[in-house]
Amino acid sequence: MRPARHGMALAAPLALFLAAFFVMPVLLTLPTSFREYVPGMGITAGSWTLGNYREILADSYYREVMWRTLGLGAAVTLACVLLGYPLAFMIARGPARWRMPMMMLVIFPMMLNLVVRSFGWIALLANRGLVNNLLMDLGLIAAPLKLMFNLTGLMIGLTHIYLPFMVLMLVAAIQNIPRDVEVAAMTLGSSRLHVFTAITLPLTAPGMLAGSILVFVLTISALVTPRMLGGPTFKVMATLIYDEYMQTLDWPTGSALAFVLSGLAIAIIWASSRLTRRWAGTA
Amino acid sequence: MSDMMPRRPTAIAAWAVIVFLQVPVLVVVLAAFSTTSYLTIPPQGWTLAWFGKVLSDPAWLSAIRMSLFLAAGSTVVALVLGVAAAYAIAHRMLPGSEMLTALVMAPLVMPSVVIGVAMLQYFSLIGLRGSLVGLLCAHVVITVPYIVRSALASLGGLDASLEEAARVLGATGLEAFRLVTLPLIRPGLVAGALFAFITSLDNVPVTIFLISARQTTLPVLIFSSVEMGVDPSVAAISTLLIVVTGLVLLVAERRTGFHRFI
Repeated sequence: MRPARHGMALAAPLALFLAAFFVMPVLLTLPTSFREYVPGMGITAGSWTLGNYREILADSYYREVMWRTLGLGAAVTLACVLLGYPLAFMIARGPARWRMPMMMLVIFPMMLNLVVRSFGWIALLANRGLVNNLLMDLGLIAAPLKLMFNLTGLMIGLTHIYLPFMVLMLVAAIQNIPRDVEVAAMTLGSSRLHVFTAITLPLTAPGMLAGSILVFVLTISALVTPRMLGGPTFKVMATLIYDEYMQTLDWPTGSALAFVLSGLAIAIIWASSRLTRRWAGTA
Repeated sequence: MSDMMPRRPTAIAAWAVIVFLQVPVLVVVLAAFSTTSYLTIPPQGWTLAWFGKVLSDPAWLSAIRMSLFLAAGSTVVALVLGVAAAYAIAHRMLPGSEMLTALVMAPLVMPSVVIGVAMLQYFSLIGLRGSLVGLLCAHVVITVPYIVRSALASLGGLDASLEEAARVLGATGLEAFRLVTLPLIRPGLVAGALFAFITSLDNVPVTIFLISARQTTLPVLIFSSVEMGVDPSVAAISTLLIVVTGLVLLVAERRTGFHRFI
């Protein structure tokens, strides 16, 4: 038979490892966020405060960065749905001979190093980058467009990076639709547009939601691309945390921001899993 | 009658998105082979000089070695820890296995930057800051979810009576695992290990908080080089990464049908 102690022996090394190198670090960071930071002196000993969290929620600069991060998450998610749907539909329903090459061309950029992809976008979007040079050579613009160090650059770069995740989710969702439901509607005289809006779209909604949650959470947590395309001045929450830790050395504020960001990510995932369960219950 | 087949506008949109996905990759490759330090289309001339420059620079070479070592090391450790735990979970050998699964998957839910700062503080506290051991442990934490996920998926699709048959025929538990179960779950494990390897090789947001000034990884070095200013040798090293990633993906697809495991 299989006694429980064999199971313990197999699982204990990983459980202990994660307790030591994941749970402990996160738990030990929590008290830091309730410490007071005095510029020039560092963390003051002995005093506990909610000030860091209060500052994040009240200060107009922190609030601006938080709203920017959430807005960016929403915009990138929407862009991924709009760009991803036709591609996923083509992969799931198009000619079979294109399926594999298209799938590979979606997975390949996803596997590629994040830094390399962001670097490619810098070469394209910089003031003297390819896009601006091309537009100026064509005489369409007189001065370079500002495509980097702002929301535009971050949107383009992050959409490119998270689009493959959305496409893979949508391909799975579209492939799961029973074909005869659509065929039945068409036989009964529905137009293609009506079949799409009344059947295809609602049946892929759970997959679309799952993909959207994934893209949204990944976008608000992203550090590398926002740093490379946003520069040191155009900040989102992750880059702000990085700067608090590595430049201003204000660890208390940095850790408070880190827990707010984690709280947002976990709350969104939790809420969506409840929503999905409710959908599954009524379906 | 035709059912919901994509028509021409959908096809055009789909191919346009495919092009959008490849554009930055093409740009990096073109920049690596062009003579000017600023990229122009079409490039003014072709050269291999940037590759020579990168591959003779000790800083880049040591970063490449470091990245490969970390990726290989963390994948092996994650495989050993992860497959054992997944086996216990899949065979319902322990109470509270849902909790263990949730714990293993938690690093995927936490923003990487949060894991990075938490480990920075923890390693400063216990004296592992800037050490190779600390970095390796951090990479195991972020790669092990992929291993456990692929191992659970493969073990779940397995007929338990096969291993029981081996036991009845006199094999020990370990023999039954090695001779029966392991060969059956190997394709899934290879895909999971590959994903773990690439995840480690790719990582910046955790690594950047933990590296020492002397020893850095390849993506972190590219990242900091770009912050200093764009240089075609960055494009050259990136092109090498693009080629390696593409080859690994092709081989993996041929060998295991990689795309089924993502």
